[in-house]
Amino acid sequence: MSYKSNYIVGSIPLDRLKPKRVRKNIELTLWERLYVPEIIRGMYITTRHLIINLIGFVFPPQGKKRKIFTVYYPEEKLTIHVAYRGRPVLVQREDGKEKCVACGLCERICPALAISIVGGERENKERYPVTYTLDMSRCVYCGLCEEVCPHEAIVMSDEYIGLAEYDRKNMIYPKEKLLVPIAKLKNRIEYVRKIYGKSNYEL
Amino acid sequence: MIAELIEAIAKILFVFGVNVGFFAPILGWVERKQSAAMQDRVGANRADIFGFTLIGLLHPLSDTIKLITKEDFIPAGANKFFHTLAPFISLTPALITFAVIPFGGQYEIFGHRVNLVVADLDVGILFIFAFASLATYGVVLAGWSSNNNWSFLGGLRAAAQMLSYEVAMGFSIIGIIMVYGSLKLTEIGAMQADFFRWGIFLQPIGFILFLTCAIAENKRAPFDIPEAETEIVAGYFTEYSSMKFIMFWMGEFLEVVTISGIVVTLFLGAWHLPFISNESLLSLFGFAGPNGSIILLMLTNIATFFGKIIFMIWFQMTIRWTLPRFRYDQIMKLGWKILLPISLINIFITGLVVLLK
Repeated sequence: MSYKSNYIVGSIPLDRLKPKRVRKNIELTLWERLYVPEIIRGMYITTRHLIINLIGFVFPPQGKKRKIFTVYYPEEKLTIHVAYRGRPVLVQREDGKEKCVACGLCERICPALAISIVGGERENKERYPVTYTLDMSRCVYCGLCEEVCPHEAIVMSDEYIGLAEYDRKNMIYPKEKLLVPIAKLKNRIEYVRKIYGKSNYEL
Repeated sequence: MIAELIEAIAKILFVFGVNVGFFAPILGWVERKQSAAMQDRVGANRADIFGFTLIGLLHPLSDTIKLITKEDFIPAGANKFFHTLAPFISLTPALITFAVIPFGGQYEIFGHRVNLVVADLDVGILFIFAFASLATYGVVLAGWSSNNNWSFLGGLRAAAQMLSYEVAMGFSIIGIIMVYGSLKLTEIGAMQADFFRWGIFLQPIGFILFLTCAIAENKRAPFDIPEAETEIVAGYFTEYSSMKFIMFWMGEFLEVVTISGIVVTLFLGAWHLPFISNESLLSLFGFAGPNGSIILLMLTNIATFFGKIIFMIWFQMTIRWTLPRFRYDQIMKLGWKILLPISLINIFITGLVVLLK
């Protein structure tokens, strides 16, 4: 197993996280069986952490020296990676119309039966969804609709806040609630092309 | 007569206030914050009044309000009388034992002799042991009367563990009694004025043995099998809620304080500062007049004693958050096969040294 040297877990380089020495003998030495010295060693380690953190509470170290990685959630939020699967949204073209052509593939593949579409036609013979309903109380955030969509019309966004409701009726999202302008979803669409090999489609 | 009455009431109020009013709530905060700092976490910091969180100090308060307003639940099939009685039996010994622990020496103030201990018993240590073993009944009753498998297992384990360690704890203290030749805690405290006559230097093995047994008596990690969360939910107090739960909780924390008090009195020089005798302190406080200097000396001694207690509390908390839990058979093996023989050898060697000196 090889580690990339630049791969970092919480600011600690991974090669420093590797165990220094693997002990094959399970028999304890006399020094360890005396127990008290080993207790003192363990207490030294925990006390070192305690003191470093107590100093850190007063003068919080920044960046890589930061020891406590707790995110104070409502005030502090993590930057979501592009691979994160949040709430599924419909892509809205620059002219304000939805990209969806109501082919029904997402409706068909959805394992939770959360999507229901009623298709229609515009004057210029362009197909579009008359209604596109997504039941968020059933959605399992699997991303299959995104994978199957031939027109990059539905993608998983990075939104995860405000999805909980007291009433299930509020969790049935109509088309208007699902539409998101394409400018906000550029990164995700690019990512989707990369992972699903959709590079042959035009935007 | 009236002066003595006032003195007694003042001492009782002081001890009770410090224990119940200060140590019991603050230890909940200390346990949370210290464990958080030791494990690189942040710890409880959300309860606030008008936006002031005071580094989580308000959490004990909100806990208390929450637990008082909760339903006091007694499970069906439980023995109501013993179920209600158990937390009281568990809490009372922790409160009572502090009565014989001296938190200062004896002082002449305005011609009145002040002895800073609530009850200056001749059999101080025996009194502590007698009442500390009463706590076993509370735990066993709680486990038995709850009509719950987890509680029952917890009660069984607690009974076995506490009785086993009672023996080793009793023996571990005999060495110190032989060295100082007294059972009276005020006398033992007064004899430790010299730094190199502290109990920890005369009885280092006795110190480790006593601390180990005392933590085991208190049922805290690494000896917390009676309430092992991962195995038997919460052990003997699984079925307790509301104020009764608080009483178990408070009893545990007060026992931490009491153990610290006993350790400080027996091993860590009681109310004496290291290397600074009371006489030199008196001459240092000479500017305040004869009575004022004695009052200052008294306050210094009380502060020293409680400073040491806070250090011992920190020490026990560190042990509690450092060591993993023992298995049941390991606890029994440690108690009967290791601690008991070592304490007997300790008594023998101490006796030999005292005899030959």
